[in-house]
Amino acid sequence: MFTDTELEEKLARVVEALKHYPPMDGRDHSHFHDEDAGLTSGKVSELTVVCKLKPGGADYLEKVTKHLNGGADGSSPVSCVGTVHDLRFAVIDNRTRLLFASTFDGSWNGYISDFATKIPEVMDLIFDCVEGWPGIKDPTIMDFIKGIQVTCSSWYVSHPNLTINDITRHEKIAKGIDKIMDEAYLI
Amino acid sequence: MDHNSSRFDESKVTLELDQIQSIILRSRPIPYFGTVVLVEIKDKEAGKTLIKNLLPEVTTSVNWHNSNNGAATIAISYKGFIALGLPKETLDSFPNEFKAGMAGRHEKLTDYGENHPDNWQYPYKDNNIHILVNIIADSEEKWKNKLKSVRDKFEDISGYTIIAMGDFSATEKVTNAFGFRDGLSQPEVDGSGVDIPPGYGRAVKAGEFIIGYPGEAGNIDESIKPLAFSKNGSFVALRKYRSNVHLFNQFLHKNGKTPEERELLAAKLFGRWRSGVPLALSPKADDPELATDRTKINNFDFKDDDYGRKTPLSCHMRRMYPRDTKMAVMSDLNMHRIIRRGVAYGGVPGDDFLEDDGKERGLYFLGISAKAMQTMEFLQSEWGNTGNFINHGDEKDPVIGVVKEDEDGVFTLPKEEGGRVRIHGVKTFNTLVGGEYLFIPGINGLKWILDQE
Repeated sequence: MFTDTELEEKLARVVEALKHYPPMDGRDHSHFHDEDAGLTSGKVSELTVVCKLKPGGADYLEKVTKHLNGGADGSSPVSCVGTVHDLRFAVIDNRTRLLFASTFDGSWNGYISDFATKIPEVMDLIFDCVEGWPGIKDPTIMDFIKGIQVTCSSWYVSHPNLTINDITRHEKIAKGIDKIMDEAYLI
Repeated sequence: MDHNSSRFDESKVTLELDQIQSIILRSRPIPYFGTVVLVEIKDKEAGKTLIKNLLPEVTTSVNWHNSNNGAATIAISYKGFIALGLPKETLDSFPNEFKAGMAGRHEKLTDYGENHPDNWQYPYKDNNIHILVNIIADSEEKWKNKLKSVRDKFEDISGYTIIAMGDFSATEKVTNAFGFRDGLSQPEVDGSGVDIPPGYGRAVKAGEFIIGYPGEAGNIDESIKPLAFSKNGSFVALRKYRSNVHLFNQFLHKNGKTPEERELLAAKLFGRWRSGVPLALSPKADDPELATDRTKINNFDFKDDDYGRKTPLSCHMRRMYPRDTKMAVMSDLNMHRIIRRGVAYGGVPGDDFLEDDGKERGLYFLGISAKAMQTMEFLQSEWGNTGNFINHGDEKDPVIGVVKEDEDGVFTLPKEEGGRVRIHGVKTFNTLVGGEYLFIPGINGLKWILDQE
């Protein structure tokens, strides 16, 4: 169905189309994965999970995740973690399964024990809808997550070497410099 | 004598102290003398004979708070357990990190550059370390006596090779090779009988350090099978460091004009003065008087020091145990604690030592916890070789961080009057020359090994 010749022709056309848009950002976008199955690009990693939902789990999850979307002022409780770039929940396959995807700094298993003691209620509240979820404090939790994790074929990260803290700091510095520059001209 | 002696309450003991090896609960003596012995065994029978012979020498945690007899510890690596022919069910139940060994986990440990296992010394490189025997005592005489009685147990049996023996020691000052007192802050283990005075925090649940007891999350981890073997055991991360004291002193000389400036900078890198007095309690100068009270010099926090003006956020002590520091990443302090039984070797050359003399000195780091592998990997990758958790970008721990050849090591020094300077030219002041993950079985565990077919 897909021949190598056809693919080569397609790729050649893409190279031609992009020749006026050379990759200019100078950043290394390569990624790799180790035994944890998730991909890592620079300082950023991803976790993608596909798993079965309990009966009624889809309705339950949608009610729960509303609270993660931000209050009246748009603030989200997720920001307290300090490493999460994004979280995605998609109910798929006739509302029987969950696709969960997240991008974050560092490794998820490095901090899983911290989540288990700091915010166990939150973790269990969200993932109780998952078939077989043993509970965040269960010693088998790491193996359970590894069991439902899938390895992505590919992944693009625009700024692989900026953590959430770096981005926040840079935003503050830029704002601060603008403020100082403005104030410097005030008489 | 031990600083803990006044803080023991028999009625609070819930752990099987007579089954738990002494290294887990007993502090290093002051001063200390000792030897690390690394052994390779030929086969199951030879290994069991050796353990059987050594068993009477192994000391337990009974009277951990005031015992001053010479102590001996046995710890066994995954390769060692394979050589001992443990049942498949038991071997399979060990954590993956333990099975992979320390060299196999170098990526997760951020052991790259000069710390990479390819650059390790014999016998750590491509090692066959099966059994570690550690001997320690509070006098030269007791050490030699204990070492002799242990060595006698090796006589008349065969089928083993002693692949390395290294002596270590420290004076009354108990300093590392840089001349800084170390090992001061240790987690207290709940159920050990420790009686913590009000205002000194709380003991950490025993399961975090000793297998077979509830941990911080409230449950008992029974993953290593059977519990009859694993109970009262713990893991130890052995990491042998060579201290590059001349590079450290060169850095101080380059960035400090007077001895006072150099001493202050050195304290800013460690977080404590040479005596062990923390900057948090004495920010301007060392305080020899305060240094004599080991309880006092560990009773402080950082609540009035958010910017690190007294104790830099990036210094070794604050990174490895941030106390009440406002961290930029959600972290649970009690999940990343490790019992440190590190010991120094090779002497202390002094602060005027500026050129490499080719002699080796440094530290055998021994980090003990029921999750020593995970904790070690976390400390190395999240709190050691990055600054993200304190919003310091790529900056590394100035003491244990590894600076690659083409890299410029930086240390952020907040100034007392406000603002900050970034000091360049930080080097790898401690180079990892080898290491291994080992299990410290309880006495019950050692006997269980002997009972196997």
